[in-house]
Amino acid sequence: MTPAHVRLDGVGKRYRGRAVLDGVHVLEQGGLVTVLGPNGAGKTTLLRLLATVVAADEGDVMIDGLDPRHEHERIEIRRRLGYLPQSDGLVAGSTAFDVVDYVAVLKGQRDDRQRRRAVFDVLDRVGLRDRAGERVERLSGGMRRRLGLAQALLGSPTLLLLDEPGAGLDPDERLRLREILTERRRTTTAVVSTHLTDEAAISDTVIVLHEGSVRFAGPPARLAAVAQGRTWVQHEFPPPDVRASWRQADGRHRCLGTPPLGAELVDPTIEDGYLLTVTA
Amino acid sequence: MSNIVDQARLDANWRAITAEIDAPRASVLERALRRVRVPGHVARLVVATPALRRAWYLSIAVAVLVGIGSSQPGDQGSLFALLVLAPALPVLGVALAYGPSADPLYEVQLATPMRGLRLVMIRAVTVLACTIVFVGGPALLAPDVRAMAFAWLLPALALTAASLALMTWLPPRRAAAVVAVAWFTVAAVVEAAGAGELAAFGAIGQVVALVVAVAAGALTIGRRDAFDRMGVAA
Repeated sequence: MTPAHVRLDGVGKRYRGRAVLDGVHVLEQGGLVTVLGPNGAGKTTLLRLLATVVAADEGDVMIDGLDPRHEHERIEIRRRLGYLPQSDGLVAGSTAFDVVDYVAVLKGQRDDRQRRRAVFDVLDRVGLRDRAGERVERLSGGMRRRLGLAQALLGSPTLLLLDEPGAGLDPDERLRLREILTERRRTTTAVVSTHLTDEAAISDTVIVLHEGSVRFAGPPARLAAVAQGRTWVQHEFPPPDVRASWRQADGRHRCLGTPPLGAELVDPTIEDGYLLTVTA
Repeated sequence: MSNIVDQARLDANWRAITAEIDAPRASVLERALRRVRVPGHVARLVVATPALRRAWYLSIAVAVLVGIGSSQPGDQGSLFALLVLAPALPVLGVALAYGPSADPLYEVQLATPMRGLRLVMIRAVTVLACTIVFVGGPALLAPDVRAMAFAWLLPALALTAASLALMTWLPPRRAAAVVAVAWFTVAAVVEAAGAGELAAFGAIGQVVALVVAVAAGALTIGRRDAFDRMGVAA
């Protein structure tokens, strides 16, 4: 199984005349790609474009050389997809099994027995096998998110698109999510959107989206390096011309921007690089 | 023992057995559909979520009421009510059974290989079939069965096709409302024109319904992409 090849070339998308994405270029194959950005940056729209549920207004979206503008190619792309939208649509009244079984039918698994086995396999993978018969409303927020992940994992997709999969997960559940994502690096291109910078640390590529444009694309270490020599700490209240600052647990202020002479420079983190990128 | 048994095969068999045992029981409606030979995967598509199941129960209840209420012997008024109301029922059913407001997994569904038009057609055909059974059944059991009691079938097909075609431009519930209002207006205008209460369901009415059904069907197929993307139906 080869990970999906993803290419976005000058992609733009507008809603009610407002550009949500503008001139986006992305080229990825394999590994874990984290899309970082503040609320309204265009992360969900980017994932919806890749999931082929919305069409681009400008530019080309190509998955494995297939163009979603053509019906047959779009269906072929969807055979390779696993998609967890931001709103997972898990409603009261259905059991965990019913939800995943329904999606399995939508994904073309017609044989009842094979489908049941596939459903239990993915429920097992996300640690929900024992909860298969439980109604969705009785599951915790984290379990519901894992259930959403289970349906996305059906059929061993080569392109996995997860919109805020870590929302509502406790530390153990996030660890399990990380395991699932990292073990698929060689067979899957996983694109994960989040606004939590610590989730980007395990990824192969980080894409920073801001106001519909790609502001950064590269490995996490390179994003952190953006803030090299531009991150310092000080006891005094920071001057207004710093790009960003906040008070640390030790009472000192961590500042980003152009450091004053003699400033105490510190090693930057991904979050520092991210903040400098989106405040540019 | 483990030396002579293929462990992978044993595991696979065990997984298959436990999957059969652990699978929760399907809903009453889904079991009923399977009992009338609807394939398991189709039954699941038809009554997948509680919202869809509620839509079905409501549609069937209204259909039964219309069927019983309009099967009074020799009553021209109740026959007119049947002929006007029955074609609107599948339209209501389709509106309640498809789209983001009816199907919470709508966005997930869009990203699967299942074509949106196929899914909506499966649900529309099932609604039509239910309407025919629950409205046509009581009419058939009436003491003086009249051929006119079934004159609503082609209009029902036409209105369902028209609402599907309109759903390629408008959200499902709005499309259904437009079609239903247009239908009631046409029926009222024909009656008011003095052509007789049942004139809309005569030979000319049936031909018009057939033409509308074919044209709307062709339009729906031509614009089927709208069922595969967010936007119109969302």
